[in-house]
Order: sequence, then structure tokens, then C-alpha cells
Amino acid sequence: MARKQTNMIKYIIKRILFMIPMLMAVLIVTFLLSQMMMADPSMSLLNIGMDEIALQRELDRLGFRDPIHIKLWKYLVNFFSGDWGVSYVAMPGTPVLDMIGKIWPKTIELVIFPIIIAPIIAIKLGVTSAKHKNKNKDIIIRFAAILGAGFPVFFIAKVLQMLFFNLRIYTFEEINLPLMYSNSPGYMGYTSADIIPPPPEFSLSYLSVLLFLIISIFLVYKGAVSLKRKKLNYGEIDNKSKRTKYIILGGIIMVTSSLLLIFLTNVLYTFSYGTGFRIIDALLYNDQHHLWDTAIHLVIPVICMVFVSLAPITRQTRSSMLDVIDQDYIRTARAKGVEEKTVLNKHALRNSLLPTSTLIIGNTTAALLGSLFIEISFNYTGLGYYMVRSVFMGDYFVIQGILVFSTIIILFGTLLTDVMYTIIDPRVTYK
Amino acid sequence: MIQVKEIEIEDNQVKQNRKALAIKYLKFILIPGWRDPDITAREFEIERIKSKRRLFRRFLTPLTIIGMLLIIFCVVLAVFAPWLTKIPLQEVTLPFYPSDTLPFEPPSPEHPLGTTFYGYDILARIIWGARTTLSMALVPVIIAQVGGLIFGTISAYFGGWVDSLIMRIVDLMYVFPMMILVIVIAPMLGTDLFTTLTLYGLLFIPFYTRFMRSTVLQVKQMVYVQAAKTGGAKKFKIMFNHVVPNALSPMIIRFFGGIARTLLGIASLAWLGLVDQTVANWGTDINWAQEQFTAFMAAVYPGLFIGIATIGFMLLGDGMRDALDPRLHI
Repeated sequence: MARKQTNMIKYIIKRILFMIPMLMAVLIVTFLLSQMMMADPSMSLLNIGMDEIALQRELDRLGFRDPIHIKLWKYLVNFFSGDWGVSYVAMPGTPVLDMIGKIWPKTIELVIFPIIIAPIIAIKLGVTSAKHKNKNKDIIIRFAAILGAGFPVFFIAKVLQMLFFNLRIYTFEEINLPLMYSNSPGYMGYTSADIIPPPPEFSLSYLSVLLFLIISIFLVYKGAVSLKRKKLNYGEIDNKSKRTKYIILGGIIMVTSSLLLIFLTNVLYTFSYGTGFRIIDALLYNDQHHLWDTAIHLVIPVICMVFVSLAPITRQTRSSMLDVIDQDYIRTARAKGVEEKTVLNKHALRNSLLPTSTLIIGNTTAALLGSLFIEISFNYTGLGYYMVRSVFMGDYFVIQGILVFSTIIILFGTLLTDVMYTIIDPRVTYK
Repeated sequence: MIQVKEIEIEDNQVKQNRKALAIKYLKFILIPGWRDPDITAREFEIERIKSKRRLFRRFLTPLTIIGMLLIIFCVVLAVFAPWLTKIPLQEVTLPFYPSDTLPFEPPSPEHPLGTTFYGYDILARIIWGARTTLSMALVPVIIAQVGGLIFGTISAYFGGWVDSLIMRIVDLMYVFPMMILVIVIAPMLGTDLFTTLTLYGLLFIPFYTRFMRSTVLQVKQMVYVQAAKTGGAKKFKIMFNHVVPNALSPMIIRFFGGIARTLLGIASLAWLGLVDQTVANWGTDINWAQEQFTAFMAAVYPGLFIGIATIGFMLLGDGMRDALDPRLHI
């Protein structure tokens, strides 16, 4: 086991090192793309009122006439020193890295619930469908899954919007909330920092942090005590990992909660700038209006997203379950008298989970980049929304930045998939 | 399976013994309408098993039948478009601006589903749009599959540095989020329809390349390829006569699934307004009507038709994969 773990660590380091040439290739490709995209800046400079000689000098200063390899070198140097350019239309005057930092939490906020809930439901449906193969239940589930996969995402989103718009369930007069954090692009720059925050009081968040501290102290104490007084009887196995687990878990929770406390008391108060997650911000500032407003705005996008992401996982689970269910060891388990439920959930599902897990992680990485069509059709100002917006406006620094950012996420996603393989299927080994 | 073999043997015996049996049961054969119940039952059983094994039988599951009906519906719309609507194509596409109708009118006898942007008839646009939407899905899939076939076969069959070069490029393409890449590149190349479709096809070559490579690598290990090699066949002859035809069937099975995915992708591009606006397309229809909350059915009908076509191709693709793919034991 220990040997395998060291192998694993070696493998991960190797993969991360292999990522560097990949990232360089990606950077070169995005650089070439941006060269294709780039408009001639002389027109806009002439419009400002610059004369011809000054224009030529300015173009030389900007490096517009440089040969392409020097441009590439400058681009790479700027990239690794953290200067990804400045957005000039999509979010005027904001550096691209800051912009991604502002936008990405919103996308995660939208996506985090579907990421967790969709695989659970989908695997359940897939198992049921495989269990009742070619029966009515199976046909209904398959057809429902195909409905989610077959209709375009934006169409489902629009229909849901129209439904709730026309049925007047989703209006704000009845709930009586101010439209401060609406998903409309007119309010795109808003964070909690823009609205003057109330000074942090003794609110729910402090209470939860204190609770975490108490729990962590208890865990560490329990682990330490069990470490000390444990006496082994004859034939009893010393379960060292279980005891150290308490201490490690407690330590982690303790450190994070104390960090949170420091963050809450000092950082938030001095800078008074939110985390970017709107729900967390609302909780931190104890702002009920914003909390409920954000939550209500998230309901329909989340429903839409769950429905859409159910389909592929269900179909994959079904087909891989059907592959496994005819195997000899399933028959052996049944003959041995194992319950049908256990046979399906333990013997069959565990073995059929490998292709499904690949799909789930792929979907997760794709979702973290922002489900483009859902964000556009709900005017949800996340990563995908700004991507398309900047494509239409020709804001190529933003396009470049978001493209590189998403490739980095996908690279780490594939690494995670390969690591997960070894956890799910111990037979898979890497050298 | 053992039972099936036994019955096959018995079947042969029955055929051999038929003369003897005929003599034995002569008196009964003379009676009109009489047959030996034993033989009838056996023949029935054999026929049943035979038909179960037949490809077409395995193919005809209820969902596949539904899929085929949906596709036939869309194809009928596309083929018989001039007979199904009185309005010619030129009067529902962009350079023409109708003078007698207003945009987003409610349904009326002349316009059964109402009108959409610029006052075009929705039903006519849907019917004429079936041709372009279906054929627009076909072009990228063919480009992607042929490209994947060529590169995948070369990569798997020759190996060495060719293989590693092609696979590194494929890995690089896999890193990019494909839909975002299409959306970024498509506006740069203009709105020419064929350019957009070619771009879409070219960007999706890596997926089929990787798939084709894995199948060819499996086929290369087969006995008949080794036999051909031992027989002294040349490299290209083995590749074209033995490897490619046998590795082709999984690719063909994925053709319909590919069409479904491409149809959705092109519809999404059209919804963003990145496909030629002068072509009647269901995605463009949704794009035009989506902000109209008072006349939202103008956006719903084309969406329904996209769904019908996509689901049809998906169901057919699933059915074909279940029936034909030897790797999946369903």
C-alpha cells in the first residue's frame, strides 16, 4: 500500500510536469488565435484625434509592428508575470485576472448544486433502468433521459422561463424583494463591496465558526485520548489509521475555522470586500434580502441544469451496468444468497462505475467553466456569459484569458480522472 | 446458446428425414389442412430463435421504432416542402421583407402558427427549414468522420513518431473546451455557411481520431491480419483490404449519434447568431423570437422540431449501437 502511494505521488508529479509543455502549446495556440482576432488599432487611435506621426510612434511603442516571435515572447512573459491584459469592453478597465476572480465564484455558485445532486439521481436512475431492462420502467427512464439530451439546453431554459413568467410564480411583487442582485447584465459590476456593508456583527457565521472550533477540539481530544489509553488485546488489530484520522480531521477543521475567524474579524472589516460568492457574502454580512434574492434567482437555472446533466450519466450508467450484470461473479453472488439490493449496489455498481466516473468528472470540469447556454439564456453573469459577450464585442484579452483559464481547469480535471481511476479500480496502476 | 445448437442439429435431421416422414404420414398429408403437430411446433420454435438472432429483429425495439418515425417525419417535411406549404422559400428568408404581415402576429387562417420576426410565417419557415437544418447537420459529421478515419487509421497502423505526433495534437485539441473554441473562431471567419460547417467538422476530428485509433489497434491484433502479413501482403493492401473494412463498422454505428450531437451544436450556434442568417434554420428562429414573452410560441415551435429531429437520431443511434456493436453486450 505504501509503495503504491509513493508510486501515485510520483505519477502525479510526473503528470504535473507534463502539463507544462501542454500549457505552452495552449498558450501558443491562443496567441495565434488572438493574432487572428486582433483588429487594427490605428482606426480607433485616429478617431481620438491623433495625428499621423504620433500614431506611428504610438504603434511602435505598443509593439504593434514587432515580428511575431517577439510578440509571442512578450505575451509569454506577461502571462507568467500575471499580466493577462485589461478588458476594454466587457468589463471596462478591469484586469482579466481580477475579472475572472470576480466572475468565477458566481459560476461556481450556480453549478455547485447540480454537480452534487445530478450524479446521485442519475446513477440511481441508471441502476433502476438496468434492473428492469426493456420493461416499462426502463423505457420511461430512457425516454426521459433522452428528452433531456435531445432538446437544446437554451430551449429548455427559455420554456422554463416563459412558464414561470406567464404563470406569475416567479415575480417579485408577491415576494416583496428589491431587485438588487438580479441576474440582469445591467447590474453586472455589483458585489457586496459596492453596497456599503454593515459592520460585522455577532451573526450566524460567527456562531458556525465557533461551533466548528468546538467540534475540532473535541475530535483532537478524542483522537489523543484513544492514542494514549489504547491497550491491545490478543488478536486485536491495531487500527492506527482510524485514530490518526480523528487528529488529522480535527486539525484541519481547527486550522480552517481559526483562519476563517481571523478572516472575519480583520480582513473583511479592513477591506470590506466580499468573497464574490453572493450567498456567502450575504451570510457574512447577515443580509437577508440579498440572501433570499440570490437563492430565488438560482432556483430555475439549477433545475434546468440538473435536468440537462442527468441524461448522459443515466445512459452511461445503464449501459455499463448491463455490461457487468451478465458476469459470472454476479451470478455467484446471487447463488450465494446475497440480497438483490446488495448485488446491484455493491457487486454490480462498483464494477460499472469506472466509465461513469470519467463522464461525471468530465461533466464537472465542463460545468465549472460555466454552462454557456444556461448562463446566456438566464442572463447569469458567469464565466460562459462573459465569454460569449466578449466574443461578440471583440474583447480579445478576455477571450484569451478565459480560454487559457479553462484549459488549465480541464488539464487538472483529466489529472483528477486518472487519479480517481486508481481509487475506484485498484487494478489500475500507473508507472 | 447450447439449446440453440441442439435445435439447429435437430433442424438438419428434420430436413433429411422429411422424405421418410412424408411416406410415413402419407395418409394424413392427403387430408387437406392436416400437419403433424410435433413438426409444426418444432419448426415454429426454430423460426422464433432464428428471427431473434436476425439483425433486424434485434434492431426493432420500441424506442428505435419511435426514433425512425420521428426521422421519417422530419425527412418528409424536408422532401415534400413545396407541397406542404404554399409560401415559397424566397418569401420566408432574409432579403425579403413581407409588406402585408406584422411581426409576431397571433395565429390566423393564413398563418396557422402565427408569424415570427419580420412577419415571416412560422409554419413555412419550419417546413423549409427542415431541409437546411438536416443537411447542415450532415456536412460536419461527414467531414469529422472521414478526417477521423484517415488520421486514426494512419496513427494506429503506422505507429512510431507518426502516431505520437498525431496523438499529441489530438491531446492538445482535447484540452480546449470545444464549443467555446467554435464560438471563438466562427465569427473570425465570417458568416459564410459552408465555412462555419467546415470549421465545426474540422474541430471535431480529434474525437473520431481517438475512437478510430482504438478500434484499429484492436483489429490489428486479429488472426486474419497476421495471416495476411504471413502471406506476404503489402502494408497498404492489408490496411485497405483487411483493417479498414473491419474497423469501419463501429464508426458507422456512431454516425447517427454524431448527427444528433451536431444538429444540437449547429442549432446552438444558430441560436447565438453565428450561422448565416439568410438561411432558414430552426436555431435562428429561436434566436429571433426568444425575447418575445408575449408571443413565445414563435420560439417554442422551432425548438420542438429541433427536439424531434435530435431525439429521432439519438434513438436510432442507440438502437443501432445496441443491435450491431459487438463490444457492448446489451
